[in-house]
Amino acid sequence: MEVFIYGLARGSTLALMAVGFSFAYGVSRLPNFAHGAFYILAGFATWVFAQSLGLNYVLSIAISLVLLAAIGAAMYRFILIRVRGMEVSEIIASYALGVAILEALRCKFVGTGFSTPVFIEGTIKVAGVPIDLQRVVIIAGGVVVIGLIWAFTHYTRLGLSLRGIAQDERAALMLGIDSDRAATIALAIGSALAALAAVIILPVGSITVNEGYDVLISALAVCIIGGLGSWTGTILAAFILGFAGTLTATYIGTMWESVVVVAAIILVLLLKPSGLFGRQKEFEERV
Amino acid sequence: MDILEVKDLMVFYENAIAINNVSIKCETGKVTGIFGSNSAGKSTLMYAISGIMMDMKRKEEMKGGERITVVGEMRLNGEDIMDIKPNDRARKGVVLCPERRRIFPESSVLENLKIGGYLASRSQAQETLKYVFTLFPALKDMKGKEGGFLSGGEQQMLAIGRALMAQPKLLLLDEPLLGLSPAMETRLAQAIKKINEQIGITILVAEQYARPILPVIDYGYVLENGGKVLEGTAQELIDNPDVKEAYFGV
Repeated sequence: MEVFIYGLARGSTLALMAVGFSFAYGVSRLPNFAHGAFYILAGFATWVFAQSLGLNYVLSIAISLVLLAAIGAAMYRFILIRVRGMEVSEIIASYALGVAILEALRCKFVGTGFSTPVFIEGTIKVAGVPIDLQRVVIIAGGVVVIGLIWAFTHYTRLGLSLRGIAQDERAALMLGIDSDRAATIALAIGSALAALAAVIILPVGSITVNEGYDVLISALAVCIIGGLGSWTGTILAAFILGFAGTLTATYIGTMWESVVVVAAIILVLLLKPSGLFGRQKEFEERV
Repeated sequence: MDILEVKDLMVFYENAIAINNVSIKCETGKVTGIFGSNSAGKSTLMYAISGIMMDMKRKEEMKGGERITVVGEMRLNGEDIMDIKPNDRARKGVVLCPERRRIFPESSVLENLKIGGYLASRSQAQETLKYVFTLFPALKDMKGKEGGFLSGGEQQMLAIGRALMAQPKLLLLDEPLLGLSPAMETRLAQAIKKINEQIGITILVAEQYARPILPVIDYGYVLENGGKVLEGTAQELIDNPDVKEAYFGV
């Protein structure tokens, strides 16, 4: 039971971390390697607004989300749009921006003394297992975010147009859907999702610059295992990794955790190179 | 009145000429046909008119690939559209239903149509959806089926329906009959006629094999190796002995 609940919490954490990356990639095929930096930037931004400037906590979170959405959109408009279609350049450009942000943050924020307050204090017992309420918020947040994305992409005009672009960019263009606009929106939403993940997850630990790199690796691991660009795959992979990590930590030892994650990636890539739900060549063309 | 006027259009892929000095017109409210064998330049012409060529050009430039050059004049209701982006051309009413259909494979039939309705207002979308289902009743019965699992004919009906959802004024159909059974060919040719007559959409249709399409067109052009070799009303084309043998399989 303990394993189940902690696995669930860890799975939700990973899903939240990865969903923004997966969303942006799924729609626009742009790998946002600044994802981890955006995550940490949102954490520090919230911290600055709430602790240094003394703004209301909810307001600080809202400002951070909007700020990160704007940064994501600007990154596409001013940087990625120029190298679009050249995957390596896309990765280098976005990673460079990510490193620049993280290392710049390092000048100002030294040490581990930064943390945002939890949403709700206290712990509860679920089936005899104590779990702090912030982790419950993480699980609920994961479910809500995934639900909202699903509803957005299935029932709104904008969301449907993004799914059109994701499946066949050129066919979508023929129907009047603007691919630059779609990519801008996708990166804005993806970055806002990174920020949302940060504000929900960071209260359980402290905000450190190095975590930005770890978050990027986690998000990549989840997306590669799930199949790049597949949203169902991302969610499934997050929970697989979450449970695998928790099981390893409980029964084998904490130091084996990262080994299991990397082994999972290698295994999936060996057995199914496009990931669990990768959609390369999934449907045969019919003539 | 001509909704579309293409004048002296030339398209090059690197130094190879794909469209050589082609001028065509689409009369408003009529069905115009473009016939030609493989590599005659039909799809290139369709991509040039719909603006997709601009997107292809941009992508090729980005990755340092083939140099694509498009020169000439293209007017939609008198307005120059040469430099207008493909999605904006769609907004102006030029909607391409592409070769090989390009259905969204993971979306259901209904969702494909809904994505097609991106440019439509809520009431337009509802109305067109109803029309598509009366035009192709078969689609209504498979609303929930994924696009990737449809047969070729079903996909073609869906592709035309999806294009209609975008509220076209000029509908471009690129090889709509490709790979279909003779029965389905006739059905789709009839549907093309119906779309033109019932909701007054001007249609430009490109086909390799002219026979099933010929009865529904008002005017036609024959392309060969990127150049226009012949034009005329449907009857004039049928009566031309050279054409008869080469393209109509008579």
